[in-house]
Amino acid sequence: MAVRAAVHGTVKRREDPRLITGAGLYTDDVRPERCLHAVFVRSTHANARLAGVDASSARGMPGVAGVFTAGDVLFTSDTARPRLCGESVKFVGDAIAVAVGETREQAVDAAAEVVVDYEPLAALVDSTTAADAGATLVHPDKGDNIAFEFDIGEDGALEGADVVVRGRFINQRLAPVPIECNAVVAEPDGEGGIRMWTSTQVPFNVRSQVAEALGLPESKVRVISPDVGGAFGAKLMAYPEQSVIAALARDLDRPVRWFEFRTENMTAMTHGRGLVQDVALGARSDGTLVGMDADVIADAGAYAGLSPPQLVLTAMLASGVYQIPKIRFRSKCVFTNTAVMSAYRGAGRPEAIAMIERAMDMLAAELRIDPAELRRRNLIRGEFPYTTATFCTYDSGDYERALDLALEAAGYEKLRAEQRDRRDRGDRLQLGIGLSAYVEMTAVLNTSEVGVARAEPDGSIVLQVGTTSSGQGHETAYAQLAAGLLDVPIESIKVVTSDTAVVGSGSGTSGSRSLQIGGSALRAACIALIDQAKEEAARRLEASVEDIVRFDDGRFGVKGVPATALTWAQLAEGSPLSAQAGFEQSDQTYPFGCHVAVAEVDVETGEARLVRHIAVDDCGTVLNQMLVDGQVHGGVAQGVAQALYEEFVYDAHGNPLTATLVDYGIPGIGEIPSIETVAMETPTPLNPLGAKGIGESGTIGATPAVQNAVIDAVSHLGVRHIDMPLHPMRVWEAIQAARTKR
Amino acid sequence: MEFLQPATWSEALAMKAAKPEAVPIAGGTDLMVEINLDHRRPATIIDLTHIKELTEWGMDDGRLRIGAGVTYARIIDELGDRLPGLAMASRTVGSPQIRNRGTVGGNLGTASPAGDAHPPLLATEAIVELASTKGTRQVAANEFFAGPKKNAMRADELIAAFLVEPARGPQQFSKVGTRNAMVIAVCSLALAVDPKRKHVGIGIGSAGPTPIRAAEAETFIQEVLEEHRLWERHVHCEPSALKQFGELVAAAAKPIDDVRGTADYRRHALAVLARRTFRWAWDDYRKSK
Repeated sequence: MAVRAAVHGTVKRREDPRLITGAGLYTDDVRPERCLHAVFVRSTHANARLAGVDASSARGMPGVAGVFTAGDVLFTSDTARPRLCGESVKFVGDAIAVAVGETREQAVDAAAEVVVDYEPLAALVDSTTAADAGATLVHPDKGDNIAFEFDIGEDGALEGADVVVRGRFINQRLAPVPIECNAVVAEPDGEGGIRMWTSTQVPFNVRSQVAEALGLPESKVRVISPDVGGAFGAKLMAYPEQSVIAALARDLDRPVRWFEFRTENMTAMTHGRGLVQDVALGARSDGTLVGMDADVIADAGAYAGLSPPQLVLTAMLASGVYQIPKIRFRSKCVFTNTAVMSAYRGAGRPEAIAMIERAMDMLAAELRIDPAELRRRNLIRGEFPYTTATFCTYDSGDYERALDLALEAAGYEKLRAEQRDRRDRGDRLQLGIGLSAYVEMTAVLNTSEVGVARAEPDGSIVLQVGTTSSGQGHETAYAQLAAGLLDVPIESIKVVTSDTAVVGSGSGTSGSRSLQIGGSALRAACIALIDQAKEEAARRLEASVEDIVRFDDGRFGVKGVPATALTWAQLAEGSPLSAQAGFEQSDQTYPFGCHVAVAEVDVETGEARLVRHIAVDDCGTVLNQMLVDGQVHGGVAQGVAQALYEEFVYDAHGNPLTATLVDYGIPGIGEIPSIETVAMETPTPLNPLGAKGIGESGTIGATPAVQNAVIDAVSHLGVRHIDMPLHPMRVWEAIQAARTKR
Repeated sequence: MEFLQPATWSEALAMKAAKPEAVPIAGGTDLMVEINLDHRRPATIIDLTHIKELTEWGMDDGRLRIGAGVTYARIIDELGDRLPGLAMASRTVGSPQIRNRGTVGGNLGTASPAGDAHPPLLATEAIVELASTKGTRQVAANEFFAGPKKNAMRADELIAAFLVEPARGPQQFSKVGTRNAMVIAVCSLALAVDPKRKHVGIGIGSAGPTPIRAAEAETFIQEVLEEHRLWERHVHCEPSALKQFGELVAAAAKPIDDVRGTADYRRHALAVLARRTFRWAWDDYRKSK
C-alpha cells in the first residue's frame, strides 16, 4: 500500500508553551521528600599527589548526613578515571570527596571543611609539548602522554604543487556552557534498585554505567532524562558523579540530589575542541588543489573522553567539499592536566572544516584568486556517492549550488565592490567577507534505533523512541511525522522518550542523528501500526485484509461500506494496537552548505563586528523548516562565539582563568546579527525520509566563515591569519605585526 | 548571617554606626556575585532597598542630587538628557535585568577600577555625598577612589547620593571589550565638554588600580582650545594636537597585562578612544553653535 507522506511544513514547537511558561520538568524540578543534598570537594591543583583527605571535622557539622572520600563508597567496578580521587588528582576540578547534607547550604559548608593535603606536582598544560621527551606525565604509569594516534595517507601529498601555503591554526578550547549544568537526583526505588533523573543526552548509557558501578542488573536502574536545558555534546557521556550520587542514595537509603554550580560546571564539565593544526595545502598555479599535509595535536585533557574518536572524524572530513587527490593526516591525542575534552557541537567536524576553509583563504590570498572562485574551481562535482581521499563516502550533494545560493543571497560582487571602496578611502571600519563551504557527517556514532507506535483506546497515539531531546524539538518533529503517516491530528500524539523504564532501548541524541535514525524507525513503526489496524479492522468486520481501506475521515473499513468503518479509538478498544520497528542506516549522511559572513573591523582598535551572516544549509528533505532554522540560528551563534568571543584559558600551572561567565565571554543577543537562512534540499538515499542531520551544521559553517571574514577585512594590510577568538587585541596586534613586516 | 532592614535613612545610619562591619546591599548585582562565588561571607548585611530617599533625585543648588539607590535603568530613562555620558555608560552595564537592579551608589561602593559609572563621574567632576550619624561630607569623585576596590569611605559611613552638574555640552563614553555588554571592559573612557567653563573632563576605566582622571590631558587640550580660540571659532584642532592628547590620556593610565588584554594594548586603545570621543564631542559642540 502507498505510504502517506509526513506532514511537511512549519509546525510551531509543541514543547514551547510548556518550556516558556515554566511548566517544564527539569531535573532541578524533581523534589522528592526527605531529599539530601550533595556537594563535591574538588581539586584546586592541576596535578598533585593526595597525602591525605581529612573529613572528620566536616562529618561532625550540623545537618551532615555523611562525607565520603574515595574508598568510602563501594563500587563493584573500577574505571580508568576514578569516580572519587584517592591517590592523585589530574586537573583542577577532579572530584576528591562528596559532602551530603540535609540542606544544600550545610553540604556546602561541610565540603569547605574537608581538609585535603596536596603534594603539588608540576602540571602539563601545553598540549604541543606533551609528546616531548621529559614532559611531565599526566599518568606516570602509562609511560607517555599519548592517548591516541591516528594517521591517514602517505608522505608526498604536496608533490607537484606550484604553490604551498602553510599555517598553524589553533582551534581553541571551549566550555560548552549549557544553561542547565550537570544535575542528578537519585533515590532508592524500594525494591533494591535505583531510580534517577539526570540531565543527559544518553539515558541508556547512564543506566549501563550506573548499573555497572553499583553491581545492579540494568533492569534495577531506571534513568529518566526529563527536559534538558542544553547539552551541546557535553552531556553525551555518563559522568562519574552520576554513579556517585546513585551510590549515595543506595548507601544512605534516601533521595540525594546534586547540582553543579556554574564555576564547578565551567571547570569540571567536559570541554571541547582544543586542536593545534599544522597544515600545508598545495595547489597548481591555476588554483587546482594537489594535496594536503596536516599534523594535528588534540588535547585530551586529563582522562580519555571523546577526543580520540573525534580526531578520526576530523581526519575523515579533512577534504571538506573539495577534490583533493592526496591527503596525509597525522595526529596525536595527548593527555594534559586540564578538564576532560569531549564532544562539543560538531565534535571533530568543525575542526576539520575550519582547517581546510582557513587554508583555502590563505591559498586564495597567495594566488590572488578570489576566495569564492578558488573554492568553485575545486568543488566536488558530478556523481554521488563520492569517496574522498580520506575514505568518506559522501551520499548526496550539490556543493556548487550551495555556493551559488550563498553568494547570490549575500550580494557577493556588491560586497566586494564596497570592500574595495573602503580600502581605497582608508576607512576606519574595513569590510571583510568570509566564506565557508562545508560538508559534515551526521549520524556518526550509532546508526540504528527502535521505534514504537501505539494506538490507545482514547484515540491517542503514543510514540516511543530511544533519542533524547535537549532542546531540538523532537516532540514536534516526531509528532508531525506520525500525524502525516497515520492521518491523525498532531494534538492526539504523545511522544515518549528518555525514560529507560518505558522506552526499551536507545542511543540517545548526538551527532545530529535523531530525525534520520529515530524518525525513520518511528516511520517504520507507524507503517506497521497501520497494517495492524487493518488486520484488526478485518477481524472485527469479518472481512479480508485486502478489502480494508481508509476512508477520507481516517476510519478503517470495508471498501464501499463506510457505515461500519472503525476509528483508531474503536480499533484500540480492549487492547491497544502496538507496533515496533527498527531502522538501521547503512552509513553516515553528509549534510552540506555554504556560509557567508560579513564583518566590520575597526582597524584602530581591532574590534570586529559581525554585521551579516548568510547561511545555506542543506540537510536533505526538510520536515519542518522552523525547526531547521532554529537549529541553524543556535548553531551559527555558537560558531560566532568560537570565532569572536570564547576561549577557555588555563595558566601555566593549570589554574583555570575563565571559570565564570564574566571571564568567559559567551555572546549575547546583541552580538548576533539577524541570520539570513536560505533553504536548499538534496535528499539522502540512505533513509526513507531523505533526511540528514541539522543540529551541528550552523556551527560548522559559521565558525570559519566569521574567522575568514575578519581576516579578510584586514588582509590588504598584509594579515594572513589570526587565531580565534578574534578579540580586539589579537586583531590589532596582527595588524601591527603585518605593518612591521612590510 | 545577620540581615538588617532599616525602614528609614537615620535608622540605616544608626545600624551602620553600631555595626561598622555590616555590608550595605542595594541592587545586589556586585555583592551577591561575591557571596555566590564565596569570595566574601559578610556577617551582617544592611538592606537599603526600603529607604525611599535613596531612590529619589532632584535639583540642589544648581546640581543634580541623585540618590545612591537610583538604578542604571532610571538614569537612562529619567536623566539621559541631563547626564548623557553617564547614561551612555549605563547602557553598557550588564543586561536589562542588571540595569533594573544595579545602582550607581553600589558601583561607587564596590569601587572597582572597571566600574562603568566611574569614568563619566570623573569626567563631570561629580561629588559623592557620604553620611553617618555624625553628619554628611562631600568627596570629589577624583578623591573617592583610593585603590583597587577601595574608596574613601569611613567604616561608619553610607553613600547617600552623588551630585553632578547637568551637562552643558556634549559628553561621550566609549569602551573596548570583547563583547558589547555584560563584560568587564578592556578599557573605557568618558569625556565631557563644558563650554561655559571651557573645560574638558576625562575619566578612564579598567586601566589602572582605580578609575583615573586624566588631569594632564585635560589641561593640555584646554590650553590647545584656548590658544587657538577653538571655543570661539568652532573649528577642529590640529591632528598633531589630537595625537598628543591621546598620548597624554594613555600616559595617565596605569594598566597591567591580564587575561583580557596587555598593558600596551590598553594604552593604545585609550589613545584611540580619547581622540575618537573628543572628535565626536567636538563635532557636536561645533554643530551646536
